Amino acid sequence: MIPRNIQSMNKFIFLSLILVLTYGCSSQDGNEGNVTVGTTEQQVVPVVEDLPEYSVSELPEGLVWLTNEDDPVFADPNAKPGGTYNEYMPSFPLTLRAVGPDSNSGIRGYILSNQLSLTDIHPNTRKFMPALATHWAYGDDNKTVYFKINQDAKWSDGKQVTADDFMYTLDFMRSEYIVAPYYNNYYNSEIVDVKKYDDFTISVTGGTAKPKDDLLLYYSISPTPRHFHKLDENWVMDYNWLISPNTGPYQITDVVKGKYVEFTRNRNWWGNDLKYYQNRFNVDKVRISVIRDPETAYRHFLRGELDTSILTFPNYWHDKTNDKTYQNGYIHKIWFYNDLPQPAAGIYLNLDNEIFLDINVRYGLAHSINIQTMIDTVLRGDYERLHAMHTGYGEYTNTEIRAREFDLDKADEYFSAAGWGERGPDGIRIKDGNRLVVVLAYSTQLHTDRLVVLREEAKKAGVDLQLNLLDSATYYKNVIEKKHQAAWMSWSISLRPSFWQHFHSDNAHKPQTNNITNMDDPEIDALIEQYDNSDDVNARTELARTLDMKIHESGVYIPSYYVPYVRHGYWRWVKLPEAYGTRLSDTLFDPMYLSLFWIDEEEKQRTLKAMKNNESFEPVTIIDDKYKVAF
Amino acid sequence: MALIQFSPLTLKTFKRFRSVKRGYWSAIIIISLILLSLVAEVFVNSRALMVSYEGEWYFPTYGAIIPGDVFGLDYQYETNYRDLKQKFNDEDSDNWVLLPPVPYNAFETDLTVGNYPPNAPSFETQHYLGTDTVGRDIVARLVYGFRIAIFFSLFLLICNYVVGTAIGCLMGYWGGAFDLLFQRLIEIWSNIPFLYVIMIIASIIVPNFWSLVIVMLMFSWMSMTWYMRTATYKEKEREYVMASRALGAGTARIIFHHIIPNTVSIIITFIPFSVAGGITALTSLDFLGFGLPPPTPSWGELLRQGIDNLQSPWIVSSIVMSMVLVLTMVTFIGEAIREAYDPKKHTIYE
Repeated sequence: MIPRNIQSMNKFIFLSLILVLTYGCSSQDGNEGNVTVGTTEQQVVPVVEDLPEYSVSELPEGLVWLTNEDDPVFADPNAKPGGTYNEYMPSFPLTLRAVGPDSNSGIRGYILSNQLSLTDIHPNTRKFMPALATHWAYGDDNKTVYFKINQDAKWSDGKQVTADDFMYTLDFMRSEYIVAPYYNNYYNSEIVDVKKYDDFTISVTGGTAKPKDDLLLYYSISPTPRHFHKLDENWVMDYNWLISPNTGPYQITDVVKGKYVEFTRNRNWWGNDLKYYQNRFNVDKVRISVIRDPETAYRHFLRGELDTSILTFPNYWHDKTNDKTYQNGYIHKIWFYNDLPQPAAGIYLNLDNEIFLDINVRYGLAHSINIQTMIDTVLRGDYERLHAMHTGYGEYTNTEIRAREFDLDKADEYFSAAGWGERGPDGIRIKDGNRLVVVLAYSTQLHTDRLVVLREEAKKAGVDLQLNLLDSATYYKNVIEKKHQAAWMSWSISLRPSFWQHFHSDNAHKPQTNNITNMDDPEIDALIEQYDNSDDVNARTELARTLDMKIHESGVYIPSYYVPYVRHGYWRWVKLPEAYGTRLSDTLFDPMYLSLFWIDEEEKQRTLKAMKNNESFEPVTIIDDKYKVAF
Repeated sequence: MALIQFSPLTLKTFKRFRSVKRGYWSAIIIISLILLSLVAEVFVNSRALMVSYEGEWYFPTYGAIIPGDVFGLDYQYETNYRDLKQKFNDEDSDNWVLLPPVPYNAFETDLTVGNYPPNAPSFETQHYLGTDTVGRDIVARLVYGFRIAIFFSLFLLICNYVVGTAIGCLMGYWGGAFDLLFQRLIEIWSNIPFLYVIMIIASIIVPNFWSLVIVMLMFSWMSMTWYMRTATYKEKEREYVMASRALGAGTARIIFHHIIPNTVSIIITFIPFSVAGGITALTSLDFLGFGLPPPTPSWGELLRQGIDNLQSPWIVSSIVMSMVLVLTMVTFIGEAIREAYDPKKHTIYE
């Protein structure tokens, strides 16, 4: 005799619970309808009648053409082609377009990796190396780069890649039909002009002068197949599920909606014989299946249905590898240190908040935040303390900055200087009857464990650090509208430190900007303007280091941690090159970017047989720190 | 003379309730647990029950914190009484500390470098059910989580029943347009998907105890209305209602003094099931991350942790056992109450 409505409500909640718990598995064999989107041969592409034509300009005299064929190769000559590599994505993409609405999906990275740009960065020497361009030359204005396009370069449908395809990129990215305001803006303000000199020579001009080293970083654009796109108001809908021709080694060959996307290696790829492309992109097929939950995906990995897994989280590396698949040597573990720019993770204080107006409070708070204990306990000492906001940017990084350490005496000194010397009955500091409360907004349940430690430790310093877990959309809205008091935040990395968006007064005290500390300081403004307008590398790096020091002195940012490595588990039939990876490898198993690994089919058969017969191999754990850098 | 005079009928019902042994004992255990949870600070707490220091006695359990320097320690934050006890023991002085049986609270993270949570149960560290993924004591999380869940469920129940009974009785008593209007309203309202609403609300505000009670109330008051409406319809046609109306009693008097006392068996029978419903609802919401904000001790959050860390079985087994025990006992009570009020056993032909 349970009341009907209560019963049905509970049933509903419980059903949802069960759904949540089992969705990951059920979606694997559920009947979501095997809608095959198709392959490149089957798809119907709108006919492009008038191919855009572009006028030819005169190439300036005296250009010095540069290239780079002398750096060491980073792939392994022993790599064997063949095999299928299995990966997962958490949800099925809403489109196969790489730009426009909903294009920011789990497979966009793979699609973009196969749309090569003019040049690449060598992942060990960090020098530029040829990709679609064979040579490049710098203009005198420090804004223009000239490129010679590789005459062998072909689209995956066999058509030649020419200067017109690069000219078309500008038209395409500026078009309002692609509904991509970010790109519309970027290709107007950052990329100002693309010129054609003959079918295989172009130049790209940017909006601001930059040091020579940086020009290629920003202006190595990709071509767009002008014979494929018919730009009109229906473009977004018409091209939702069309597979675009590309210039890279892999092309999508099979799409089953809701289930998987499969890429196949183009064995006749035009780049096969180029020095830096040899012995890379080894697997024949890459299948990316939908598995909604990382925990379920890990179970699939342990069963051998996925070939590799990321084990960077401490609980995965230490606890979830206590499994017989590892102990019997079927799965190997690798801990690989890299040398990459690190995300600027930590606590950002909002200077528009009254209590942070006093710099002593900012310093006091920094000394009350116990990042080290958090790292040493819940993170098992695996992460490293971050000191400067821009870490891992080479010369741009100021290694003299040391983050303020947890120190109750110093905290007390600073807080007392700000008038927060007295403590209330609950041990929290008080001033004029107000408690010292700092509300820290954050956006993921995953970080609760870490922040709980900070909260308990901050109590000792007399700070009531309240944790405010918000749904991620609400969190970003709150922070970007500057409604937060303090935000637990991690800015993603960029190619070079960019200060204007985060610290210039142009962006302070107004919503929808990235200056979430509301920093508003004429001295810092002047430095940022100098930094942005400098085209001399030494001056620029010097300015970046000075700016990072100013940020440190202002106390608005409390750095947390960084993770200078990647950790993986991989089945023993997946083989890595001798060096395992490169200086810039953020993963060792991206099948389309760098892609140095291969699959040994014989080893796979041997392993499967051994598993059947309960035979074991020597367990393998590799720790490689040749690229480890201390900051 | 007894303070409250029970009618023979009530006494008989109570006797019948007592005769269902498992329900009766469950009731005793649950009520004791609720009462004990009110003073949980005495049993499960990081603060000592009593400290004798330099001839003076301190009772830190309730009230303001006592900073470490009071006991000659070198810090001004709250004393760590476990360390203090250790210190007094090492010094072999006359000072002593009396700790509660479980010397941890629900928030503190018991972390030492090189010892990574979650930690398995251990008598040595006095984590009798181990620790969770941040090193918080599971017994403490369970006890304080129980206190929150049970009181959440009781408050929700009271609110639901007050609103549901009032509207239900009025629907039955007045009938007509009022009845028709509310019937349709309730039908429409019950079709709003509760979980979506909760998700939307949780994305706008950070839910707290009272806002969750209010949101849950908005979607669960309807259940009682149907039963009370039917019962009132039936009762209002009975002679005693007619008689009191003839004597000039108003609507309020008739409903509160005559109809509700005669339909109380319906209300009481539902109570245990509503309590169980309230606990599961809160646990489910916490599990899904739409419930009380961290670091509130919560059963749902513990369940989530348990499922994410199956390699540390003490987390999931403690919380599942606790839920099974509490919910089973509540169901036993419900069964016994239903038995006690069963009209078939009240027949005059007995």
